[in-house]
Amino acid sequence: MRKAAKHTKRFLRRFWRGLREWCGDAAYESYLRSKASHGASCRILSQAEFYVEQLNRRYSRPNRCC
Amino acid sequence: MKRILSIFAWLIVAFLGASALGAIAIHRGEPLNAMWFVVAALGCYLVAFRLYSAFVAAKLLALDDTRATPAERHDDGRDFVPTNKWVLFGHHFAAIAGPGPLVGPTLAAQFGYLPGTIWLIAGAAFGGCVQDFVILFCSIRRDGKSLGQMAREEVSERGGFIAQLAVLAIMVILLAVIALVVVNALKSSPWATFTLAMTIPIAILLGLYLRFVRPGRVLEASIMGVALVIFVVVAGQWVADSPYWSHVFTLSGLSLTAAIVIYGYSASALPVWLLLAPRDYLSAFIKAGAIFSLAAGILLVRPQVLMPPLTRFIDGTGPVFAGKIFPFCFITIACGAVSGFHSLISSGTTPKMILREGHARLIGYGAMLLESFVGIMAMVAACAMTPGVYFAINSPPSIVGATSDAGAATISSWGYPLQAHTMTNLAHAVGEITLWNRAGGAPSLAVGMAQIFSNTLGGPRLLSIWYHFAIMFEALFILTVLDAGTRVGRFMVQELGGRIWAPLGRRGWMPGILLSSAVIVAMWGYFLYQGVIDPLGGINSLWPLFGIGNQLLAAVALVVATTILLKMGRLRWIWVTLAPTAALVLVTMTASYQKIFDPNPLIGFLSGANARAAQIAAGKIAAEKIVETNRLIFNLRLDAAVTAIFAGMVLVLVVEAIFQWYTILRRRGEAVLHESPYIATRWAKDFSGAPHDTVVGAAIGDD
Repeated sequence: MRKAAKHTKRFLRRFWRGLREWCGDAAYESYLRSKASHGASCRILSQAEFYVEQLNRRYSRPNRCC
Repeated sequence: MKRILSIFAWLIVAFLGASALGAIAIHRGEPLNAMWFVVAALGCYLVAFRLYSAFVAAKLLALDDTRATPAERHDDGRDFVPTNKWVLFGHHFAAIAGPGPLVGPTLAAQFGYLPGTIWLIAGAAFGGCVQDFVILFCSIRRDGKSLGQMAREEVSERGGFIAQLAVLAIMVILLAVIALVVVNALKSSPWATFTLAMTIPIAILLGLYLRFVRPGRVLEASIMGVALVIFVVVAGQWVADSPYWSHVFTLSGLSLTAAIVIYGYSASALPVWLLLAPRDYLSAFIKAGAIFSLAAGILLVRPQVLMPPLTRFIDGTGPVFAGKIFPFCFITIACGAVSGFHSLISSGTTPKMILREGHARLIGYGAMLLESFVGIMAMVAACAMTPGVYFAINSPPSIVGATSDAGAATISSWGYPLQAHTMTNLAHAVGEITLWNRAGGAPSLAVGMAQIFSNTLGGPRLLSIWYHFAIMFEALFILTVLDAGTRVGRFMVQELGGRIWAPLGRRGWMPGILLSSAVIVAMWGYFLYQGVIDPLGGINSLWPLFGIGNQLLAAVALVVATTILLKMGRLRWIWVTLAPTAALVLVTMTASYQKIFDPNPLIGFLSGANARAAQIAAGKIAAEKIVETNRLIFNLRLDAAVTAIFAGMVLVLVVEAIFQWYTILRRRGEAVLHESPYIATRWAKDFSGAPHDTVVGAAIGDD
């Protein structure tokens, strides 16, 4: 029973993480992680700046299909 | 032992899929249960994925998991983001799944369920999935370059320019036709118009929240947004019941055209965070929810498919669109089986986020199989209603008659019995004024979905809510494609305009933004207007034009892929891309020829224009209708010219590519492959994406 609960908890945690990554909720965290692991040479954007910059880039190329 | 069990299990899956497909093909008489379609499709998809995609991955592409992907080499946390394969699968599917696989199969149901179902399954397995997969692979090997860039580098400079122009031209027709689907769905429907109109302030509210209150907190904002959208779907009923508000939101086709054009222009010119992006978030969640609900509904309700396997309209005299199965079933189904537009996604965001080359099989091939399954569900939903109702909703008044009695009599005379009061009762049950002549696929799909949903939850009492939920879902994500497409089209116009006058090419220059937005909106707006005033309903001429354009773009993508694979020396397996390329070129060229030159005025644009000109010359057109008829004549000739331009552009690219292939095969010149150099991956074999609570470096094996 405890094992099943543990598996369910792990599954739900993974699902939540996947959902956040899928919808873009975790995009800023990915950006910070990338900057941290690569040694940021330029200024790190604030969350609001990153949000607007990311949207401008995403919607300047085909990202939705027929 | 494990291997024997696995082979045995796959043999059972293959047997089930083949048996179900065989049953669908040879069954006559009593209506079939929808489960046959689900089993046939899933069985075939699983076998295609397990065997054919594995064969393509191993033999044709020779995917190499030891090779670092662009996401690893250029990881910047912005464009190049290493992403878990299942998350990227979701991303890619959300990007490729649009209204096409819902509308196309619904329209193609006029031939009966059989031709469309077979093409959805076979076309996806051997054409659409291969295209998406191979283009994704080519782009991964080129640092995520776009289709146009790859065409320029691997085929020729001219080929790249043509591909770029083809994308813009096809996008204009795409935007016009999907806008027309929305107009036909909302026309004279205060409930649906109110619901969709309310999604604009909801999106703006979300945009402000995400920009100023909780920047980037997409999930919580989307949950609030979805709740508000569901509320306005229900509130739409109160609007429809109120004489004053019902009058305010009852709009004609032309008024809706003006509203959609203004919306498209605003979404393109306004900051993207204010309207476009939050709408997209809403749309993504509702799209995912509606597709899963439809699948669950079909499995729970297991409706009977009432449409016959083949209708009398296989002879080309169909009321929804004219033309025979070959080539019109193929270009009408379009995105559910093969979609050229997917090549833009496969060579856009996805290759920059993929962790390993091996994941391209699941993401490129697998996501398209899922899209094809969406097409199968749309086919089931459309065919689950009685054929008479299907034809009443999708046929224009100029073919079935202007009154409900005349319409019922005409449709009954085709062998599909229909009483006028059946349509009145159905319209009343779904909360609409009328369901007659609502061409475009969206209303008939919404009726089909609503019947499945209401049988699952709520019964007939909730039929009207479910119908308007389905209409809102279709219109919401159609408008998401429309505004995102208009914005991308604006950038394309700016890029092309920048070649003539440099300031136009500057993305941040406001006059340039306003002018280029106006140009792109005027282009698709004109075709939309043309469709709205068309006495045959517009879908009749615009959907085939869109289908031709879309399939031609797929042919362009496959030509580019074939060229690259030949340069890589994969001649032995080149039929994998060459066969679908040849099939698509044959289908689209035949369709283009017939749409331009067919002597039947319902099929050929030129004969349609000539027939109307002859009517004017013979004095058969009333004086007050002459201006309108002349406009129709002009539009038909314009459609003929657009079709000829599409076909001409692709023929030039095909000839360029054949010349390249000849040079490569004859070894008359060195085949220069513009592939990124091999760099070994630094990631451990079991690395599956950067988890939130770990730093990437900790998960990377420094071997």
